[in-house]
Amino acid sequence: MTAVARAFAVAVAAVVAAVVTILVWPHSSAPSRAAEQPERLPASPKPAFVVPRPVRLSHSVAVSYWASVREEALARMAPSAGAPAVADLSTTTPEGTTNIVLVLGRRTDGSGRLWVHVRLPVLPNGRTAWVPRRALGVYGVVHAHLVVNLEGLTATLLRDGRPVFRASIGVGQPQWPTPRGQFYIRNVLTSFSSPFYGPVAFGTSARSSVLTDWPAGGFIGIHGTDAPQVLPGRVSHGCIRLRNEDIVRLWKLMPVGTPLTIR
Amino acid sequence: MPDLTLEELDRDGAIQEAVQAVSGDTRAAFLGKAAVGGAALLGALAAPELAGAAATSDVAILNYALTLEYLQSAFYTEAERLGAIKGKLAPIPPQLGAVERAHVKAIKAALGRAAVKRPAFDFQGVTENQTKFLKTAVAFEDLGTAAYKAQAARIKSPALLAAAVSIHSVEARHAAWMRFLAGAIPAASAFDQGKSIPQVRAIVASTHFIAAHPKKTSRKKPKYTG
Repeated sequence: MTAVARAFAVAVAAVVAAVVTILVWPHSSAPSRAAEQPERLPASPKPAFVVPRPVRLSHSVAVSYWASVREEALARMAPSAGAPAVADLSTTTPEGTTNIVLVLGRRTDGSGRLWVHVRLPVLPNGRTAWVPRRALGVYGVVHAHLVVNLEGLTATLLRDGRPVFRASIGVGQPQWPTPRGQFYIRNVLTSFSSPFYGPVAFGTSARSSVLTDWPAGGFIGIHGTDAPQVLPGRVSHGCIRLRNEDIVRLWKLMPVGTPLTIR
Repeated sequence: MPDLTLEELDRDGAIQEAVQAVSGDTRAAFLGKAAVGGAALLGALAAPELAGAAATSDVAILNYALTLEYLQSAFYTEAERLGAIKGKLAPIPPQLGAVERAHVKAIKAALGRAAVKRPAFDFQGVTENQTKFLKTAVAFEDLGTAAYKAQAARIKSPALLAAAVSIHSVEARHAAWMRFLAGAIPAASAFDQGKSIPQVRAIVASTHFIAAHPKKTSRKKPKYTG
């Protein structure tokens, strides 16, 4: 072998040795890279919170729905823009709260417009009608139902069909009868100063069919009293009176939008 | 219907409070709200569940996520309760509603007293119309997925990031399911883009779904028949 050939062989051997060294030794020769091996990475952090198991809604038959009135609208006898109007719906109540209606059903008309069947706070009592969905706003849901018994002079609040409250009541005198029928709770008034109405007064959709010229429309309320000694009895102008401790207890249990049956 | 500002739509300030806290917006309008909104954020710093574990911005991001979860859970829950979604879409409200409510529950528990209040929602009949319901479900799930993604890199706490991505992947599954039902390609691109806070804010505002809470109480003296 010539000197040139030996020098070339040595050079080739050196290059091969260098390549083999790079390929074989890189990981063990660099301690700082050890942590980059997946099996040597630290454990993933424990999540700050865990999402609980999803829970389906309970389907109670005692659920009711109400809707706020977003725009003034005509309530009509049928789900059609051409149907006769039966009432004007305003957006607020005489007490300054948002006007609400009880939702009974829905239907889409031939032109694709959605109508909602609602119970109205108008005379004659018990009237229902159809309102365009666009006139309504927020929907609410309630699981309560207040039943007033005019014969037994009791008010019973049901939640999911089970009684959770019962109290003796005062109702209308014979010349100012408390109306019978299906109604709902429209609002609740508190922090006013009137011993006659007690500490809390619920507004209802029921109206006196006798005292039609009463201020603010003759609506029937459910409220406290400054004469608890006359309860139970037929003592009012149509309103449903409870002892103050009872109306306060009811206030904590009964949401606005609760259906009201007076029988 | 004329376009409304976010301030008009979001009267309770839930979205705005969360969005502005995350984005670091220092507008006078936000400072004006500080007496109310700032109290929630200060409270967040002291929230026992996250105290010492999350930066202020993490709490704000959680509240931002909570507001979006409120929107989604209210949407599916209302649809289920009203019972107007039928046929092949009928399983969606109960399934997705339960999951979104679980998200709300978890995030609210993590935030404790610092959690923003639930806004009121007016879905304007969308929860009662098959076609509009599905279209909105696709939009909401895409939006939720993109919103989580955009905030992931901003979350400082690794533990909070781990929790957030556990929700993000579920939102992505929902998005794919809704897209499939709507006849759209579930995963149309190789890489997804997040949506920034202004983008999310504009989309939420454009729905007009956030409403004022109905006024149910008054201090007026009753005029009932007595």
